[in-house]
Amino acid sequence: MQRIWEIAGNFFETAVFIYGAVLLVSYAVLAICSLIAVRKWVMSEKYQGGDVLLTSPLAPGISVIAPAFNEGLTIIYNVRSLLTLKYVRYEIIVVNDGSTDNSMEQLIKEFSLVPVDFAYNAKIQTRPVKKIYKSTDPAYAKLTIIDKVNGKSKADAVNAGINAAAFDHFVCTDVDCVLDENTIIELIKPVMKEKKKRVIAIGATLRVANSNIFDQGVMVGVRPPKQLLPRFQEVEYIRAFVLGKMGWTLMNCVPNVSGGLGLFDKEITIRCGGYDHTSFGEDMELMTRMCRYAQDNKIPYAIRYIPQTLCWTEVPSTIKIFGRQRTRWARGLAQLMHTHFSMFLKPKYGRMGMIVFPYNFFFELLAPIIEFAGIVYYIVMVAMGHINWPTALVLLVFVYTYSIMITTLAILYDQITFRYYNSWRDVALLCLTPFLEFFLYHPLIVFFSLRGYYFFLTGKKAGWGNMQRRGFQVAPNR
Amino acid sequence: MNFSLLDFLESIFFEFRYAPLIIQVAIIFVFVAVTLTLLAYFSILRRRFRGSQRDKKITRLNELIDDLLIENVLSQDPETVETPGQTAETAAEAFHLPQFSKRWGRQVLIDRLLNYRNNVRGAMGDEIRTLYLLLELDKDSFKKLKSRKWNRKVRALNELSSMEIGVADVIILPLTNSRNRELRAAARHAYIKLSKNEPFKFFDLATEPLLLWDQVELFRIITTTRHIAIPNFAQWITYSSNKSVISFCLKLVVHYNQLKAIPAVLKLLDTKDHLLRAEAINCLGKMKIADVEDKLVYIYNNQPLNCQIEILKALGRIGSGKHTEFLRQEFMLSTDFELRKHAAKSLTNTEPPGSELIGELMETSTPENQLILKHCMNPLIKF
Repeated sequence: MQRIWEIAGNFFETAVFIYGAVLLVSYAVLAICSLIAVRKWVMSEKYQGGDVLLTSPLAPGISVIAPAFNEGLTIIYNVRSLLTLKYVRYEIIVVNDGSTDNSMEQLIKEFSLVPVDFAYNAKIQTRPVKKIYKSTDPAYAKLTIIDKVNGKSKADAVNAGINAAAFDHFVCTDVDCVLDENTIIELIKPVMKEKKKRVIAIGATLRVANSNIFDQGVMVGVRPPKQLLPRFQEVEYIRAFVLGKMGWTLMNCVPNVSGGLGLFDKEITIRCGGYDHTSFGEDMELMTRMCRYAQDNKIPYAIRYIPQTLCWTEVPSTIKIFGRQRTRWARGLAQLMHTHFSMFLKPKYGRMGMIVFPYNFFFELLAPIIEFAGIVYYIVMVAMGHINWPTALVLLVFVYTYSIMITTLAILYDQITFRYYNSWRDVALLCLTPFLEFFLYHPLIVFFSLRGYYFFLTGKKAGWGNMQRRGFQVAPNR
Repeated sequence: MNFSLLDFLESIFFEFRYAPLIIQVAIIFVFVAVTLTLLAYFSILRRRFRGSQRDKKITRLNELIDDLLIENVLSQDPETVETPGQTAETAAEAFHLPQFSKRWGRQVLIDRLLNYRNNVRGAMGDEIRTLYLLLELDKDSFKKLKSRKWNRKVRALNELSSMEIGVADVIILPLTNSRNRELRAAARHAYIKLSKNEPFKFFDLATEPLLLWDQVELFRIITTTRHIAIPNFAQWITYSSNKSVISFCLKLVVHYNQLKAIPAVLKLLDTKDHLLRAEAINCLGKMKIADVEDKLVYIYNNQPLNCQIEILKALGRIGSGKHTEFLRQEFMLSTDFELRKHAAKSLTNTEPPGSELIGELMETSTPENQLILKHCMNPLIKF
């Protein structure tokens, strides 16, 4: 019996070692690719500004879709913020997904809305649309409001927006996100600059806005979050977007365009059936289906990311809400892997099947499980007195320093892109955060991921997944 | 003390040497990680420090340049100046300062002059150009043009084209087909602005596609450059083997309302490329070529969806009312929602809202078609 345990233990140790080594190597590869992609982008931006898209009659039209559910606290500011976007030809579609608060009444009053006979073509099935509103004020001519029956998911609301969208590309965002005024310009550029491939989706860096200062929906001050939990998320976002997604961009292997902000090819989205309202990770699920569709139909496609921060969002500042969000994300990942497992290691699906899917399976889905198993194994070994402490300590220091290095490199790349924070103190605060992340934040991620997998396996019910917002800091009256 | 430290280091080395391979690798990587982390911190510090220093220096220098320009050029009354360039000659002497002898100082001066040149037109703009030449800043730009780095070349081309300094075709033309996108674009822009004889010659030589981004930028440059000789774009529509050049020329034909290019556009209706065909139909519609309506209606049934939509749009734009019955049929009988919507839009373009036909359609249509009609007639709905 003891011999069997020994063999199992050795096997586990070797497997974890190989797993860890491959993971660390892939992070190193991503860091290098990301640096190349970021520098390339910075050089390109230096010589090609986007002002030409403010007036050009050749600029493609864009529909901006923002779903909202019970956002009464901030909806007016948020819509006003969307109306400040700079671009020559665009429309804004806000989808009120059956809010139970006074969001709709506020919108009608603030923007002088009247119901119109809108030829709504339900190319993607959604819950019924009650009314569509347009403003009688010419200043808000770009604005369309869809009032629909609650679909219990963001996906259903966005699908309704896609059905009403007039243009070939649409930007999907959350109504509570604050967008940079040049968002559309920056997102459409990769589509216009692509030579051979069809760019089916473009994403940009999201950043935490919890401590930023706003005036009438317009951001007037940028600061890293004061609270520790949002600041951990800020660092995590920088790492995921600037280092991760930019690295994947260079290889044309972007696994996901965030639901917070992305520009999509409408035709491919509709042909794929739109967002899946039963999915908990609808953004990643749609991306997978779009890639699958492109591969099945032999469409040479590309998914791009840009390192510039174009979207500022409020992240959870309490463990309870944070846990709810991460559990949902983990559940979405498990669901996605289960639904599309037929793509796993299938050469037919190109890089999606051979790189993106295996990477997500081994290093995103399995990571919390392996980590948890490792901790349990470690505790058992400690209890049995089989731990070689100096060796264990060296390995721990190795993983710790490596994780700090990767995050610090991400912060450096972010600084190369743009100096978002003016004060040295702010940057120092960000640089110090990775030192605590390993001990305080990472265990939380593992725990909530495992909870998400558990909910997936047991089929626990869930709703819109709305985050309770505190609202942003408002600039003092001048 | 020295002895004990050496002893300590020796013991560490001993431990390392006889440690298992995995531990040796881990220790090496710890050192690599710590070093890279420290380097990253240093790099962040250095970037921020140098960035803020540079910003301060540039701000100070820009203030000096602004003062000198206002004092010596912009505040001069053009009517008191006897000969063109006289103001610039006086101003050039004021700019002989030590700050502008260094390369970075000259670059700041070039950037500032470009900024003024792009925002000031007429005699003042010409004075700024003369000042640029008198200060021999064009030599700096030409030096950059000879650089092996593409970004310096792009910078030089932008400077020379903004200042309208002629560059030999043999230098620019090869760059218009460069594999580097930014350099290619800058060279094309510069060629259009600077070429004296044939600003569109690179259309003949373009082997690389004109990306949509390139087209937007070229369109702006072509339509905003003064004294540019606009050729007949039919020559490229007929003979170019580069589809993106043809597509771009169609847009220019519309912009310049170039009726003499219409026969060439008409020939494109027979092309096998349906995307190009759709663009040709779009061009004909926007130019309101009524003679083409019959042909468009004739080919309609054999076309893919994108071309059919363009034909319906074209009929609405032309608005002769000759094919109202065709539009009515499409609106009533088509199974495709988009086709019905575009047919309805074209009908409402040609028929006034209270007309007999619209009234009849409202009465006889299905509820969905009625909604489409109402949508198209509502002035609040643009698209």
